Amino acid sequence: MEFYTKPGDYDPINYVPHQASHGTKELWKTFWLLLGITILDFIIYFVMPATGLRNVIFIFFGLVKAYYIVGAFMHLKHEKINLALIILVPTVFIIGLVMGLLYEGNAISLMK
Amino acid sequence: MANQAEATFEKQPMWSGGRSPFNVSYGKLMMWIFLLSDAFTFSSLLVQYGAQRFSNIETAVTTSWPDPASIFNHFPFMHGVHLPLLFVSVMTFILIVSSVTMVLAVEAGHRNSKKEVQKYMVYTIFGGIAFLSCQAWEWATFIHEGARLDSNFFGITEQGYKHLQSVSFSDHFEWADGDRTWGPVPFAALFFIVTGFHGFHVFSGVVINVVVYIMTVRGVFERRGHYEMIEKAGLYWHFVDLVWVFVFTFFYLI
Repeated sequence: MEFYTKPGDYDPINYVPHQASHGTKELWKTFWLLLGITILDFIIYFVMPATGLRNVIFIFFGLVKAYYIVGAFMHLKHEKINLALIILVPTVFIIGLVMGLLYEGNAISLMK
Repeated sequence: MANQAEATFEKQPMWSGGRSPFNVSYGKLMMWIFLLSDAFTFSSLLVQYGAQRFSNIETAVTTSWPDPASIFNHFPFMHGVHLPLLFVSVMTFILIVSSVTMVLAVEAGHRNSKKEVQKYMVYTIFGGIAFLSCQAWEWATFIHEGARLDSNFFGITEQGYKHLQSVSFSDHFEWADGDRTWGPVPFAALFFIVTGFHGFHVFSGVVINVVVYIMTVRGVFERRGHYEMIEKAGLYWHFVDLVWVFVFTFFYLI
């Protein structure tokens, strides 16, 4: 097994990897995308009747916005994959909890 | 030279010690872990909102859950005009703009450009203050119209629904007698709790940004040689924006 040959080179408290600038192009692209989706949300609210399909579209747009905020603004796309996974995987369980409790909530309303 | 050292760093076995397995600093990793726990906090609030909403479809004593966007139909200086969703979209726009100025400050920090970091941090702080002011106005209007933490006068009656349907965008609108009755309490309560919790996060974010801005002006990061603190403050700020995406979707759109 290889080990770090020069102890003292790695100081876990003060270690800060060098971050290079990726330029501002991706950031502005993300900005226009978020703005565009928000305007689209606004238009769809008035154009479409309030149906389940409209709610699905709104939730889908919300997830797209979340993807771009976390990926580009919070830089998670450019981090190591194992860091991204320990952050993203636990949040998947929230979706299951939401589904379950919406179902139960609906059942409660029928008994009220 | 620095890059070469990092390249040899990468070759070490990942979990044998002597290197950072995620290749991030201690502070940034801890910020991510904190944000994950904060995500669970907000999730529990939103899950409760969903369950309450689905369990209050219609009852004998209360009417059904109102359409939120038609309740939040006010705009500053436009009294009595029916403008659903407009003001909250402006608030969303403010938060997106302040997010982009924050990320530009982070990018300037990667180039060690102190002047640009200062400029973009000032923009971000003003964006945060603007958002908080909007939220204060919205709360004041909502409370003025009769919403309380423990009661909800936004149970829309059949007459109220017809009234709402008869007005279109930018028409004159004011609640008539008999339009509203007592509705499900969690509608108002959870609105105050969740937007209040989010607003408190925005407030903390502004405080953090001000502290980081002062540190930048005093040259703390210049002496340190890197602007990673801007990045950590930025992570928190973007998280606040991320939460707003979901609050906007579930509390206003749906």
